[in-house]
Amino acid sequence: MAPLEPAIASNLFSIGAERLALLGKHHKALMQGYVDGFIDESAFSEGALKKLIAARILWRPDEQQPLALRPLVSELIASMVADENRRQINADVAEKLEQIRNRVQAYRDAQFKGDYSVAELQLQRLTEHVHDLSGQFEEAIDSLWHRLNSDFGFVSSLDDKIRENERAQKQLRRLLDGLDLLDFHELIELSEGNNHLRKLLVSQLQNQLSSHHSSLLEVQKRLVELLAKFRQQQARSLLIANMAAFLRQHPKYQPADYPHRSDVPSLFNQAASIKPQAAIALDKATERQVLAELVRALPRPSSVTITDTQSASFSLLLQDEEIAARQQALKTDVENFYLRVIDQGGKISALDYLSTQQLSWDSEIWLYQIIAEYQALPLDEKQMFSITREEAPASAFNGLLLIRDINIGLKAA
Amino acid sequence: MLQHGPLLERLLAGDFICQITDEDAYRHLSQEQTQQEINHYLRPLNRRLVSNDDHSVYFLGFHELTKEAREHLSSQFSLTVQSLLPLLEWLQLVQETLGRDSALTAGDTIKLQEFVLRTEDNQSLRQRLNTLASDRFFNSQSEQLDNQVKLIFRRLKEHGYLLQPHAERQYYVVTGKIDYLIDLIRFIRDEEHLPVDDTPTQEALI
Repeated sequence: MAPLEPAIASNLFSIGAERLALLGKHHKALMQGYVDGFIDESAFSEGALKKLIAARILWRPDEQQPLALRPLVSELIASMVADENRRQINADVAEKLEQIRNRVQAYRDAQFKGDYSVAELQLQRLTEHVHDLSGQFEEAIDSLWHRLNSDFGFVSSLDDKIRENERAQKQLRRLLDGLDLLDFHELIELSEGNNHLRKLLVSQLQNQLSSHHSSLLEVQKRLVELLAKFRQQQARSLLIANMAAFLRQHPKYQPADYPHRSDVPSLFNQAASIKPQAAIALDKATERQVLAELVRALPRPSSVTITDTQSASFSLLLQDEEIAARQQALKTDVENFYLRVIDQGGKISALDYLSTQQLSWDSEIWLYQIIAEYQALPLDEKQMFSITREEAPASAFNGLLLIRDINIGLKAA
Repeated sequence: MLQHGPLLERLLAGDFICQITDEDAYRHLSQEQTQQEINHYLRPLNRRLVSNDDHSVYFLGFHELTKEAREHLSSQFSLTVQSLLPLLEWLQLVQETLGRDSALTAGDTIKLQEFVLRTEDNQSLRQRLNTLASDRFFNSQSEQLDNQVKLIFRRLKEHGYLLQPHAERQYYVVTGKIDYLIDLIRFIRDEEHLPVDDTPTQEALI
């Protein structure tokens, strides 16, 4: 392969720089396109769109489809922001290996011809390929760890997590298969007799790949553990849901009587509780001091003498009896009033009776008792009396009536 | 044995010991030497240490199944059976209300306020919670959502399924007794050949 002409090389440089600048110039709109999955064409001028398409940043997958980011650009962004939903793992080792072989051959040919500047360039490319190969594993491992450590938090449901975990395990297997393709005997042969090559292909690459290999095995172990955990959670959710459904459908369901089996399952063997209780013991002289302090620390009851409480309850009892006696007296007087009504046959004013008999009752209580007694009569006896209330309005503004007096008379039978 | 005094007291009182309720005690109980010592000590009390299948929770069982012991186990078993449905419904309700993708497991934290807020706005969740709260197991008389939720969580705390790290803060941690409950359900299912699946169907796997 011929070295690049300086003119082409500088052209390459300026085009590359210009196109990278395009990415920066439209960063917001392009990132929006990454998030949405398509490009909002109204966000760009026509010229800008043409440039972006020419720069192979945007493309139209189909006539009917809107513009979108090229897959390589999407991948670049996914890798930069560690977006595990979109990040891709490249497990293709065979292609890289083929390129390395070719470069080694080209390098040796150039050296053989004594064309040292070409050989230098080929070695440079070869170094890039070796780093690419190692970087490819590094990127994949980084992505796998990232997913692991977030517990596959980038998908929401448990089913999705299980699927994502299985996908990661498949990727991992491909990566391990890829590592197996690297045959160090072949690499040693390739680098035979050349210090640069040996350093690059054997000591450096071997070192990196063996550390990748152990990382991958560790990730694999963790992925399997996590999958087991996911499956366990899934089983638990299903058990809960299905058992609840079963119990709802069979409300009378009663499991077998496990506690009376000859061999009680240990899950059902839950002993009755024992609460250890202790009381003060006075048999150890050494503890007396402590106990005495405890007793002294007890809060003292407030000083209420016993005689006081006794007399209080005594008078209370007396009062109750007094009230009962007064009530009985009132009742008797009211009954006498009714008897007078029956004797006289005419209407009698309750208050007049109260004053003529010189009874000591408060007039209001007297009226209440008369009404109460009337209401308490059996229905047929009630009909024997006519009750008329002397009422006066309490005020001009409402319909409230105050009872002034009550007249009770016998109804003509 | 002196160093395990408080632990023994908790065990005798009927507590379930797991990594959440008492990490140190749980670590001690996981050692075979300690298990033997404790069993030896408990022998005269007719008690022994029991754990679930994966040894995530320890509690005391009877050493010898006397008639009295069986009577106790029998009445306890019928209480457990009665509590199965309300507990399962609660587990489902919490999972759905908090939008979790998996069932509650030991160590999960539930914030009471978050639970109330999410239930408040959702008529069907509100209805289910109402039914659950009035279940005999929780036995709430209140119509107030806040009181119902508080009562449910308090009852679960009393039964040892939840732990409240700070008495004045309204958040709870699920204890290992949930594992015990799940084991119990799985046991009954297997023993009685109940048509209750816990593996996803083939379509779900694809």
